[in-house]
Amino acid sequence: MTPPRRGRLLWALLALSALLLLAGLAAGGDGWSPAGLWQLLQGPDAALIVGQIRAPRTLGAWLAGGLLGLAGALAQGLFRNPLADPFLLGSASGASAAVVAVLAAGALGAQGVMPVAGWLSRIGLVAAAFGGALGGVLLTLLLARGAQHTLRLLLAGVVVGVVLSAFSDLITMLVPEALRGRQVFMLGSTGYLGWDSCALLALGLALTLPLAQRLSRVLDALVLGEDSARSLGLALPQLRLLLVCLLAAATGLAVSQAGLVAFVGLAAPHLVRRIAPGAHGYTLLASTGAGAVLLLAADVVARSLIAPQELPVGVLTALFGGIYLLWLLSRQREA
Amino acid sequence: MAWLLVGTAAAAPPQRIVSLVPGLTESLCVLAACARLVGTDRYSNWPPEVQALPKLGGLDDAQVERIAALKPDLVLAAPSARAVERLQALGLTVIVLHTRSHEDVQHNLRRLGDLLGDAGRAQAAWAAIERQMAEAAARVPPAQRGRSVYFEVESTPYAAGPQSFIGQTLQRLSLHNIVPAVLGPFPKLSPEFVVRAQPQIVIAEDRNLRDMARRPGWAALPALQSQQVCAFPSASYEVLVRPGPRMGEAALQLADCLAGLGKEPR
Amino acid sequence: MTAALRARDLRVALGGTTVLHGVSLELHPGWTAVVGPNGAGKSTLLRALAGLLPRQAGQVWLQGRPIDDWSARQRAQQIAWLAQQGQAGGDLTVRELVELGRLPHLGLFGTPGPQDQRCVEQAMLATECAAWAERPLRQLSGGERQRCLLARALAVRSPVLLLDEPTTHLDPPHQVAVVRLMQALARQGTVASVMHDLPLALQADRVLLMHAGRIVASGAHDDPALHAALTEVFDHAVRIERVGERHIALPNL
Repeated sequence: MTPPRRGRLLWALLALSALLLLAGLAAGGDGWSPAGLWQLLQGPDAALIVGQIRAPRTLGAWLAGGLLGLAGALAQGLFRNPLADPFLLGSASGASAAVVAVLAAGALGAQGVMPVAGWLSRIGLVAAAFGGALGGVLLTLLLARGAQHTLRLLLAGVVVGVVLSAFSDLITMLVPEALRGRQVFMLGSTGYLGWDSCALLALGLALTLPLAQRLSRVLDALVLGEDSARSLGLALPQLRLLLVCLLAAATGLAVSQAGLVAFVGLAAPHLVRRIAPGAHGYTLLASTGAGAVLLLAADVVARSLIAPQELPVGVLTALFGGIYLLWLLSRQREA
Repeated sequence: MAWLLVGTAAAAPPQRIVSLVPGLTESLCVLAACARLVGTDRYSNWPPEVQALPKLGGLDDAQVERIAALKPDLVLAAPSARAVERLQALGLTVIVLHTRSHEDVQHNLRRLGDLLGDAGRAQAAWAAIERQMAEAAARVPPAQRGRSVYFEVESTPYAAGPQSFIGQTLQRLSLHNIVPAVLGPFPKLSPEFVVRAQPQIVIAEDRNLRDMARRPGWAALPALQSQQVCAFPSASYEVLVRPGPRMGEAALQLADCLAGLGKEPR
Repeated sequence: MTAALRARDLRVALGGTTVLHGVSLELHPGWTAVVGPNGAGKSTLLRALAGLLPRQAGQVWLQGRPIDDWSARQRAQQIAWLAQQGQAGGDLTVRELVELGRLPHLGLFGTPGPQDQRCVEQAMLATECAAWAERPLRQLSGGERQRCLLARALAVRSPVLLLDEPTTHLDPPHQVAVVRLMQALARQGTVASVMHDLPLALQADRVLLMHAGRIVASGAHDDPALHAALTEVFDHAVRIERVGERHIALPNL
């Protein structure tokens, strides 16, 4: 009974992806308008507007969502907790802190206050976010002294998150010019995703997904419990470390391009498990697809709803996520 | 409560003033009441004499204790200041003023003038600003008038719409804003909108302009390609985005830039 | 015949407290039941023998070689260990769970071949859970899940099986089936199981009685000294009676 469902889910995700990728091309300054798209395509601006702006944004949202979905499935498998999300190990707070630091440095450097701030600001927000995400996870690993114990890892992640958040708050207090940029980052945006961003995201996905699939058996074995998994000959600390690194890389790449989009990493594996539960070899792949579809759908709506203004995509994902969790809760009460 | 304040003002002009809004700090100094300032927020930095004053935090983190310790008889704040209730509860006189538009700046000058008992100086101050505006409008070369402009406030991109004080200034300079008024004073636009609108002039802080061409699709903007841009370093950009008595100076800055853009075909 | 697993002066501490005080034993081919009151250290002993716990002192030999000389994977191929309170996530199907038992042989990168499929099938048949092969675990009851977990351990096809309370949650027919299974496996390899159920434990070839972290008695199932020790350790709450060729333990009411 279950295997046909798994196959069907994958096909559905593929179909939805194709549909949404097309829909994304019609979302722009006039709201969601296929007629407008048709007109654009016939005009001289097609290559510019559709080719250079809409297409890469849409694809980028899809790829970033995929990375977040994968990261979420990895996190939920690693921590054996259906409420885990990829931001648990300090990646989100690390990325945010780095972004704030660079924004503040930019403002200070422009004011001529700190000479070193000038070159710090040249690092670029994307590189800063990625480096910050990895740095946050590294701090967590250092604090937890490796990936030996899951609980220690979680606690360390919480501590790192709190401390780095406070650091970000402090910086934005002292250098308020960084505040808006930080807010934009925290809420997520696909605004400036070009083809180079897509290439990076695609490369990242191409590297992390197969490797994660290979490690899916570790996650399956962990379901039996730590001791049982070890009794099967698995070198857990090293494998867990590798999984954490994959998690960090996928998350870091996604947030550096699209900002801290909430809930996609949490909801995608959740939905997959409700519709077609299975071993991790399947769940990782399906979560990637589900995450891609979720973020892309939210992005298309975010771009169309109040055009020519844009909602931050993170607001929509948080809204959808909140509604989904409320629905889950209500189901629980009935059951 | 308001009539009580008016009553107090008529009784005696305030001698010890705390200002938590940079625009209001500047207004006070323009009204020759700089000496009465005993403290400002951390962002007030003009005229240079206020930099020596105690810095009392921002709107969200005003240092209530230090403000109270200064024993001001008047505190000027903005609507978003969280400390207002607290300060009022401590028995301080707090006046909350908006600074969103030209009308607000004019109104604030008048109100402060009345409080200081010097309505005439306030009128003169506004007249001076108006003169500067008119002068700036005159300095805009005819070739530049009527051209479309995109004023970037933040690289997200946030733009200055016609409803904002910046937008009003741009209107005085006979420029047409690509942002429709209905979107509000500082809307967050989709990058595509700006590209499609193809503004003929782009105004932004210099470090944002530096990276602008790297945004997908923006390199094709004619304004960027033919350098029809006004890039302002941080210090002068600050004047542009501060709603206060230096709006006239801001207008002149903009006009000078426009004049320097040369005669490019529309 | 050399014992598959040997331990000498094994001392293990958990969280600062010494749980095993210098335990020495030899696990010969056949079925050995480990019994004792709560907290005697039975599960800890099994885990230490499986190489899952660090030792404070003493040595363990697997197939004649010190256990630390074996790589984790080789050890996993030699010893299958079944946890006491089987956690089993609901999303795996029974077949996927049992296939995990082939991990020591396949490693992370191997793909299951026909040999592996056979092992999985036979393990499921032996524990009578083949009917639910494609069902997710969370649809099964506690007892059914226990049998699937046992199948996972069987699928390893290891010469040594260390089972911690394999008959928990099982109803009498299935308890009997598991006992018969262990007896069958014991004929070809070494099986050691911690048992709470004394009557079932007395069906084993040898019984190890533990108390307060030490082995206080060990002997064949019909060893009178063992019976005496059992009665003593369990505070005379049980008495051993002979029924036909076997001995059973009864509550001493």
